[in-house]
Amino acid sequence: MNLTEMSFEDLMEEAYGMPGGKAKMELLEQAVRVADAAGDIDQGYEARSEIVELGSFHGYPMKTLVAFSWQLGQYDKNPGRFDDYSLLWSYKWVLDRITAFADISRVQIENLLEDMKARYAAEGYSSRTYHYYRAHIFAEFGELGASQAEWDIVQSMERDGMSDCMACEQHHLVEFLAKRGDDEGTLRAAEPILNGTMSCSEVPHVTISKVLLPLLRLGRQKEADKLQKKGYKLIKGNRDFLYHQGEHIGYLTLTDPVKALEVFEEYIASSLDHENPADQMIFNAYSAKLFRRLAEESIRFQVKLPAGHPCEHQSEDVASLAKHFQKLALVTAEKLDKRNGNVYYTELLKQL
Amino acid sequence: MENQNRDTYRFQVNLSGMINILSNHLYSSPKVFLRELLQNGIDAITARQAYSQGGYEGKIHVEVSGTSTGATLLVEDNGIGLDEAEIHEFLAMIGQSSKRGEDFLSTNTSFIGRFGIGLLSCFMVSDDIVMVTQSAKGGPALEWHGKPDGTYTIRKLDGEYAPGTKVYLRCKEGSEAYFEENNLQEWLFYYGALLPYPIQLVSDHTTRLINPPSPPWVKDPQLARKHQDEVLAFGKQVLGETFRDFIPLHTSSGRTGGIAFILPQAVNLSAKRNHRVYLKHMLVSEAASNILPDWAFFVKCLIWTDELQPTASREHFYENVQLEQVREELGNTLRQELMRMAEYHPDRLQSIISLHALSMKALAVEDLSFYSIIHEWLPFESTYGRKLLGELKQQPPLYFTATLDEYRQITHVASAQSMLVVNGGYIYDAELLAQLPLIDPDVQTERLLPEEVSLSFTDITPQERLDYYESVRLADSVLQKFRCQVQLRRFKPEEIPVLYTLSEQSAQWRVLQATKEVSTDVLSSVLGSLGATLKDTAYATLYFNLNNPVIERAFHSAHLAMLPAIVEMLYCNALLMGHYPMNRQETALLNQGIIQFIDWGITAAGHATGGEE
Repeated sequence: MNLTEMSFEDLMEEAYGMPGGKAKMELLEQAVRVADAAGDIDQGYEARSEIVELGSFHGYPMKTLVAFSWQLGQYDKNPGRFDDYSLLWSYKWVLDRITAFADISRVQIENLLEDMKARYAAEGYSSRTYHYYRAHIFAEFGELGASQAEWDIVQSMERDGMSDCMACEQHHLVEFLAKRGDDEGTLRAAEPILNGTMSCSEVPHVTISKVLLPLLRLGRQKEADKLQKKGYKLIKGNRDFLYHQGEHIGYLTLTDPVKALEVFEEYIASSLDHENPADQMIFNAYSAKLFRRLAEESIRFQVKLPAGHPCEHQSEDVASLAKHFQKLALVTAEKLDKRNGNVYYTELLKQL
Repeated sequence: MENQNRDTYRFQVNLSGMINILSNHLYSSPKVFLRELLQNGIDAITARQAYSQGGYEGKIHVEVSGTSTGATLLVEDNGIGLDEAEIHEFLAMIGQSSKRGEDFLSTNTSFIGRFGIGLLSCFMVSDDIVMVTQSAKGGPALEWHGKPDGTYTIRKLDGEYAPGTKVYLRCKEGSEAYFEENNLQEWLFYYGALLPYPIQLVSDHTTRLINPPSPPWVKDPQLARKHQDEVLAFGKQVLGETFRDFIPLHTSSGRTGGIAFILPQAVNLSAKRNHRVYLKHMLVSEAASNILPDWAFFVKCLIWTDELQPTASREHFYENVQLEQVREELGNTLRQELMRMAEYHPDRLQSIISLHALSMKALAVEDLSFYSIIHEWLPFESTYGRKLLGELKQQPPLYFTATLDEYRQITHVASAQSMLVVNGGYIYDAELLAQLPLIDPDVQTERLLPEEVSLSFTDITPQERLDYYESVRLADSVLQKFRCQVQLRRFKPEEIPVLYTLSEQSAQWRVLQATKEVSTDVLSSVLGSLGATLKDTAYATLYFNLNNPVIERAFHSAHLAMLPAIVEMLYCNALLMGHYPMNRQETALLNQGIIQFIDWGITAAGHATGGEE
């Protein structure tokens, strides 16, 4: 099969049948090239819709952002030509990860939020989703008070066609409470997700890693261990879950460091060329914590690192590895803090 | 005390509504009533075997008589039969509510309960169902007569009856096809090909046996190796395709087995993988795709199992831990067989790989030990043509590109220098090449960046450097605004005037720039910020080939005035050829350039003709 010789239709058909991942992304990007070279806007739009979705759920937030930007531009230039619902819906995916890029300023993010609000209002949707995303984004900035105020607004309003599914909303609440350090509140909010009443394609996958440390701190390790095994299966192999893979390392470092090392080895390669800097930061930070923990042991560890890794020749020196990963995490944390105008992430790394 | 005043009521079930649910929402086709009747018969035979030890042989007899709406179908088994209490019990089961909604079909595994549900499905093709049954445990023979409005009668019959159950169906208008002899033969075989008891179909003219006696390799799939022709013939009969090779499948529990027929033609990665699965010898699904791992798209399987839980419609399996385990074990059998082939029958393996390279690569990426065994036979595209990895790896270090785009940039130039570069741009290839040293420590692989091809170029001499100093500087300044630098070199083939290479960041930056132009203000500003960081590391290089006579003339000091236009046009051409998105400035450049050259051409032609005059 020769990609360069394939037509747009062939590329898309092939892509539709592929499992989500890098290979599928390559097919879609080639489809975009073919469509653009032919100047076919409809095909370019179709292929980019797929990129937006694939990128959102398989760890390519930058590609999602770029493809979505093109779509929104064409949508405005060609009124009535493209479906508004699916485009407006994917706006949320873009905002989900936008704070991860420190180069994007707060003003720019504010502008995006306002733009989304105006577009939703023009189509008859309420501002609930706007406030929901403000809650999310403030929390990502580390401004938990401001986030709480937005949550209060969200909870006073009625859901509508742009609202996330119930399970996703509940998950976001769990995530927020976990950030606040409210262990009991986190577990209470997570209850309907953990008992299976609420679920969707990414919940409980992303929720489980949020309750592990709270459970452990409340002396409920047995439950936590069981959940960890279940949760890890759900996020296995998907690079979109790098953040959560990092959190699993964090939990296992306390309960089963050798297992934590296995998780690290499985995902170090995908963390290296990952598109989401904030997810990389969390993965690196928990990895650093793991190596500090391993450094306390008298056993010698031989850490499997991918070829070409800068620490390839220090694979036995876990103390150096700890420093390396801590430094990487800190660089990102500082950039994010500078943009956010606080010290939230540098403090967070210290506390891990 | 209050309890005594309280009566318990049961929900009344509307039978026709229920039949409607079954036929429209649960089953894929009314013909499943045949499967349900066969299943009832098999269950009854199994129950009788447990009840009466020895000397008993189960069989199923199907008889069709009459034509069109006058047709009647009889399905008879010599199984355990039902007594009156049991008949009431199964009828009660039908109306029983279940916590899991429609799942009641799958959760309810008792013989009696299933029997009723199975019978119910017959209402899809008949409005008049009569069942005559004699329990092997004694008591009188009974006749049950059911109507789709939910009413039924039960009558005790006089006389002696052999144990077993007969179900008579009268054809319902519109269901004639389900009473047609040839269809019956086809469908009975379709569902019951693997049943261990003989099924006989009798019509006005003929009597025929539907299923062959159960072959020994169904009990022990390993025996299939000794019955090669028979297995291939069976595959053709059941799956309708001619196969040349197969792999026996089994799980450690021995409760799942099968035959994986190697598809005789290459298949698309996205092609639906439809395996035919029999649960307790009965066909459950002909479209089960989740019973084998994703990479196994080079086989079509017959699988028999008694350890998986079917969904409510009994046409698929629940995605649960058990299925996961079976899938893994079946995958392992396939993998081990391929590895065995590598050792004992490399020709056989090679012919499979040549058809199904993609499938093999998908598996190899996931599994290093498998990769290590079969890697020599995997084909890759390279500047030496399509070659097997075993041959390619003889020439270390093995260079490969990570993307198709990178390969495209350098392929002509690298071939001309006789430089071996493998295209890693196809699915799985770059990952496999990167992992090659892990399975063969003697091989070094190295990812080649497009700009590194230039290392094999010949530098220009110090004298040439002096001679072309001004023109190179001018050319470089022309492309500065596009973040592209100009280099003058000598390289093969001389027909190629320029080589354009760009780094990953540069490619990404170009996409950002081009998208910025079509996007909204808010998002353009965001893309601008992201691009700003990239811009520092984004660079591209346009190599001019001094071996090319036109380039040599263009860089000559006599043509300095034309050089900027020449450089710009070659730059735009390189972008076009590489399918790189062009920004507005570049497109404008191309348009101006074409006009400019036309103008020069006409003027020159004018001079030429003027001279002649």
